[in-house]
Amino acid sequence: MMPNYLHTEFQKILDREYFSKKVHPIRRKAFDSFIEDGLPDKKCEDWRFTDLSAIKKGNYRISEIDDGPTNKVNISKYGLESFNTIVIYNGHLQQDLSSVPKGIKILSNLEYMEQKNWEVSQPNLSSFDLLNTAFMDSGICLVIQKGIEIETPLRILFICSGEEKIMISPRIHIDLEESSSLTLVEQHVGDCNEYLYNGSVIMNIEDNAQLEHIRIQNNSKTTINMGNLHVTQHQGSNFTFNQFTLGGRLGRTNLYADLIEKGANCSLNGLSLSNDDQHLDAHIITNHHAPHCTSTQNFKSILKGRSSGVFNGRSIVQNKAQKTDSNQSNKNLLLSKDALMNSNPQLEIYADDVKCSHGSSTGALEPDALFYIRSRGIDQDSARALLVRGFGSEIIEALENNEIRDHITNYFNQWIDKNKQ
Amino acid sequence: MLNIKDLHAGVDGKEILQGVDLCINPGEMHAVMGRNGSGKSTLSNVITGKEGYNISKGDILYKNESIIEWPPEKRALAGIFMSFQYPVSMPGVNNTYFLKAALNAKLKNAGEKELDAAGFLKLVKEKLTELNMDTSYLQRAVNEGFSGGEKKRNEILQMLTLEPEIAIMDETDSGLDIDALKIIANGINKYRNSERSFLVITHYQRLLRYLEPDVVHVLIDGKVVRSGGKELALELEEKGYHWLES
Repeated sequence: MMPNYLHTEFQKILDREYFSKKVHPIRRKAFDSFIEDGLPDKKCEDWRFTDLSAIKKGNYRISEIDDGPTNKVNISKYGLESFNTIVIYNGHLQQDLSSVPKGIKILSNLEYMEQKNWEVSQPNLSSFDLLNTAFMDSGICLVIQKGIEIETPLRILFICSGEEKIMISPRIHIDLEESSSLTLVEQHVGDCNEYLYNGSVIMNIEDNAQLEHIRIQNNSKTTINMGNLHVTQHQGSNFTFNQFTLGGRLGRTNLYADLIEKGANCSLNGLSLSNDDQHLDAHIITNHHAPHCTSTQNFKSILKGRSSGVFNGRSIVQNKAQKTDSNQSNKNLLLSKDALMNSNPQLEIYADDVKCSHGSSTGALEPDALFYIRSRGIDQDSARALLVRGFGSEIIEALENNEIRDHITNYFNQWIDKNKQ
Repeated sequence: MLNIKDLHAGVDGKEILQGVDLCINPGEMHAVMGRNGSGKSTLSNVITGKEGYNISKGDILYKNESIIEWPPEKRALAGIFMSFQYPVSMPGVNNTYFLKAALNAKLKNAGEKELDAAGFLKLVKEKLTELNMDTSYLQRAVNEGFSGGEKKRNEILQMLTLEPEIAIMDETDSGLDIDALKIIANGINKYRNSERSFLVITHYQRLLRYLEPDVVHVLIDGKVVRSGGKELALELEEKGYHWLES
C-alpha cells in the first residue's frame, strides 16, 4: 500500500531549491523501489506485529523552513548539558545551537557524497530505508580521523515541536577511522502532537576503532519514531549500542550490524518502557561475515496498560564466520493483563565451529518476590517498584558514562513512579 | 505476644491446619517440629500474611490484636519477621538498597528519623561482623547467586537489622553445614532477650541443640499433638514421629 501524500511530498522535495539536484537520481531510485513494494503490511514476516496504519492514513508533510524554531530554543531542559550537541529541530539543523568536540570533522551530506565520488551505497533493507533515502532532508556526516579518541560524548538532539503533522528524514553518517573512538548520544525529545521521524544513522567503524552509541527515545506519546541504524564493523572494532525507549505511540528500531572482518565485537542492549496504547519495537539483526567475532543482544521490555512490544532479534552466522561467539537474550515484564509482548529470538547458523545461545522469557512480577519484600515491611506499591527497577537496572547499570547513566536512571525512576500501581 | 487460637487454614479448598493452638509469651522460644506436609510452612505463611491461604476458623492474635486481615507489610512493621525457608533471589535489586528501604519503612512507621546512606552503612557493618559476613554482600543483588548458607545468613542479617519482636525461623537449618549452622545459631542466641520471642520451625533436632527452645510442639496433620520441654526434641530424634501418630 502506498499513501498518496508521499507522492506530493516527494515532488516537493525535488522542487526544493536549496537541495542539490545531484542527489535527485539517488532519491528517485529509492522512491521508485519504495513505490514497487509500498509500505509493508502484516503479511510481511518482519512487520507482522507492527501496525503502520497511522503512517498509511497519516497525511504528513515534509518540514518547511517555517517549521523551524520561532523563539530561542532552550536545550538545557533536556539534560546532558555538559556534552557537545548537534541540534536538529523539526528536521532543521540549528547551526547556532550546535557544537562538536575538537577532532571531529563535519561534512554535509553533499560534501560526503562528493568526497566518496558518489559511490556511497544506499541502505535498502526495509521500506523505511528507501523512504529515508528518497526524502533525506537534514543530514550531517561526522568523521573521526585515524587515531583520534574523542573524550567527551557527542549528542545529536532531535527536537520535535508544534501542531503540524510533519515528517522528517534525517540522514547521519558516522565514520570512525582506524583506532579512533567516540561516544555518541542520539536523543529524541519533544512535545508535538503529530510527527513522523524516519531517520537513518549509518556507521562505519574501521580497524580497532570504538563506537559507543546511546539512543534515548523520549518523544511525546503521540508521535512515530522509525530509527534505521546500519553498522559496518571492520577488524578488531568495537560497537556498543544501548537503547532506552519510552516515548512515541509507535517506535521502532531497525538495527543492522554487519561484522565483516575478524575480531570485531558488538554488544547491543535495550530497555523499553511502554504504557497506554504505545507500541515499541526492536528489530535487531547481527550478521557475522568473518571469523572470531563476538556479539550479544540483550533486550528488555516493561509493558503496562494496553501497550505492546516486539523483540525480533536475529543473529546470522555465515559459513566463513567460524569461532563466532554470539548470544541473545530477551526478557520482558508485563505489568498489566492487557499488555502484549511478541518475542522472537532467532539464530541462523551456517558455520560449524561456533558458540551461540539464545533465550527469551516473558512474565509478570513474581508473587513470591513481592511477598518476600512486603514481609520486610515495604508496602505493595514500593515492592512492585523495587522489582521493576531491579529488572531494568541491568541495562542501565552497564552504561559507563555517569552523566548518561544518571540521566536515564532519572527517566526510569519517573516512569516507575508514574506506573507503580 | 503471639496467640494462635484453633486455627484452621488451607489452600485451594484443602484444609492443612486443622485447629492449631499456640501461645508464645515475650522472651520465649518455641519450636514446632514436624515432618514434610505436616503444615509447618502453612503455619509460618499464615502468620506472616502470604496471599492464597484461606482461614476458615480461628484467629491469630499479636499483642492481643487479630492480624489475620492485615497485609504482610503491616505485620512486619508491627514487629513480626520471618526467616524464609527459601529466600527469594531478586536480580538487579541491590542488597543494601533493599535492606535500607526496609529499615527506613520501619523507622518511618515508628515516627523515627530515617537513616541516610552513611548511618545505615555503619549500622549494617556491625551486624555483618557478628555474622562473619564480608562487606561484598552489600554490593550484591538480593540472594542472587548466593549459596544456601549465604542466603540463610542474609536472612539473619535482615533480622538483626530490622529488630523484630517475634521472629519465625522457617527451616533455617536446611541446607547448612555445621559451621554455618553454628554462626547462625550464635546470631539468633545473641539476639534473644527477655522481650523477644521466637518460633523455630524445623524438621530436625539439629538446630535446637544450639538454640535450646523453651517449648517444643509436634505438628502432625495440621494439629499440635504434643507439647513439651526441649527434651521432647531429643525424644523425637530418637524415636521419630511414628509413636505420636494416633
